[in-house]
Amino acid sequence: MRDLFIIVRKELTELLRDKKTIINSIVLPTLLIPILMFGGIKVSQMISESNQQKKIKIGMLNAPTEFMQLVEGDTLNQITTYTEPQDFKTLINDGTIQTALVFPTDWQQKMDSLATAEVKIHRNGTKDNVNERVSKLLTAYSSELKNTRIAQLQVPVEKMTPMVQSYIEVSEQKELIGKRIGGFIPYIFILTMWGGCLLAAIDLVTGEKERKTIETTLSLPVSKFSVLMGKAIVASLLGFIPALLNLTGLIIGLNFIEDIPDNFKVALTEMLTPQSITMILLLLIPFSLFLAGLIISLVAGAKSFKEAQSKASPIIILIIIPLVMALMPGIEFTWATVFIPVLNIGLGVKEIMAGTINIGMYAAMLVSLILFAVTAIYFSYKKFSDENAILG
Amino acid sequence: MIQINNLTKSFTTKTGKGFKKETVTVNAVNDVSFECKPGRIFSLLGPNGAGKTTTLRMIAGIINPTSGNAVVDNVDISQGNDEVKKRIGFLTGSTGLYERLNPDETLDFCGKLYRLPEEAYKARKEYLFEKLGINEFRKKKLGQMSTGMKQKVSIARTLIHDPEVLIFDEPTSGLDVITADSIIDLIRESKENNKTVIFSSHIMSEVDLLCDDLAIINKGSIIFNNSFDQFKKEMKAENLTQEFINRVKEA
Repeated sequence: MRDLFIIVRKELTELLRDKKTIINSIVLPTLLIPILMFGGIKVSQMISESNQQKKIKIGMLNAPTEFMQLVEGDTLNQITTYTEPQDFKTLINDGTIQTALVFPTDWQQKMDSLATAEVKIHRNGTKDNVNERVSKLLTAYSSELKNTRIAQLQVPVEKMTPMVQSYIEVSEQKELIGKRIGGFIPYIFILTMWGGCLLAAIDLVTGEKERKTIETTLSLPVSKFSVLMGKAIVASLLGFIPALLNLTGLIIGLNFIEDIPDNFKVALTEMLTPQSITMILLLLIPFSLFLAGLIISLVAGAKSFKEAQSKASPIIILIIIPLVMALMPGIEFTWATVFIPVLNIGLGVKEIMAGTINIGMYAAMLVSLILFAVTAIYFSYKKFSDENAILG
Repeated sequence: MIQINNLTKSFTTKTGKGFKKETVTVNAVNDVSFECKPGRIFSLLGPNGAGKTTTLRMIAGIINPTSGNAVVDNVDISQGNDEVKKRIGFLTGSTGLYERLNPDETLDFCGKLYRLPEEAYKARKEYLFEKLGINEFRKKKLGQMSTGMKQKVSIARTLIHDPEVLIFDEPTSGLDVITADSIIDLIRESKENNKTVIFSSHIMSEVDLLCDDLAIINKGSIIFNNSFDQFKKEMKAENLTQEFINRVKEA
């Protein structure tokens, strides 16, 4: 134990003197979530404001006067009135107009006879801003026409409205938001954990080979297992710390970033209780050891940093796929998914944040992660004991 | 004292592509036996890839022998590597120092693992720093030092626990003559202090300068093992280097 502590201290000192490690494992994880939150909110606000101020060019054919007045009411709408049918596809594609509304020639007769008339909307489906704004205009005009007809027919409004849908939310805001965004949080911190573990493990194993210090370490009176465990613990710490800093960054972001919607802020603050944070961090301890063991066993035979990276990097796919699955609707935290590493964390964290975690399943997940960590450490020790791989 | 008996080391590698794998076993060291006595310098001479480093790594407990045994300062290496390692100082030409630590931290790390008593360790460290002139750069990171400075720290690291056995694996390889000279002095001084010294080299002039006993190793096997005086007596070639080349070619 004493030797292990000496090794951990030395490896940690060495790693924390490396600028790359400081930036990747301390600075970036702390700033990542606040930047994502702040940047995301600001960018969406800017896009929305900029869209609202954009002029849109609308082409019209046979449009009724009331609709024309409605469209002209917004000075940002630039109207081109056509008297004859045109090749609207070409006009939209060459940018002359952005959308065209073609009313039938017998519009007025149909309105007078209370019939249904078809308005053809020529549009480019990818131009969301134009389409949404035109759609709003049409909906408003259609509603106006409907109200006029109801008044004309002297039918009470309730007779024309047979059903009104009224939603009563039974889940707590915390559960609702927890299940919706809870999956994104492990997505962020598992990826930063992976990055931290990867860099640290490569530096501690392959880096030591490249710097030719592995022979010095092995010539000291300390067992190979202690050396390996020291490296695995430090690599897992360098994976765990970024995840911890991610959560810290999230809490700091919630407290200091303005413009976060209030309901979102309240729900997230309710989710990030000492209990839920402890439960999440408890899962991440064996998981980071599992990652460290897995990476060390992969890179132990590599002769250079580049070779180690190319050996370990493809594993990211095995991390991303379960994380993406955890975000998919229909995939739940059940006894079938509780033992699948990464997926279980993705789903489990969602449940923890929503406050709906089953303690028995949580315990099973924790035990399975510990077993995975022990297995990964065992394999990394086997590889680390391979004299060909370590000294070759 | 080092007593080596029938030491063999095999390395197994897997080669091949796809599903067709071949296992190749190579004897890097084959049935090697020799003895190094205290107060004498034993030189292990051989061309590149002869098995010198593998032999020294086995003696130092860095790798395990496939068969045979070695007794270092009355401890059999098979009884536990840590006990052997406490009796050995192992130095290579590549220095093998932790570049992000400074000399103080490097020696503290090694001293703690050797479990040296605190006071004795501090006194020994100060003595070595003073003797080797490390004091002026003791807080400087090793990665920022010249090769000569690093080699001084490497010597201090090797001697911090005052080992009875010193193993030098091509200690002057890649060093300039001034730095190499400090290593030669260290080897001589260790002999004067009645330590058991073994060093590997492929440079005959170095062997001539230091050696009392000599073993020549080629392709993993010992082809000469006797005193250096006897080697010189048996010489047929005009100089030591040519004699070494001839013996390796004849083997």
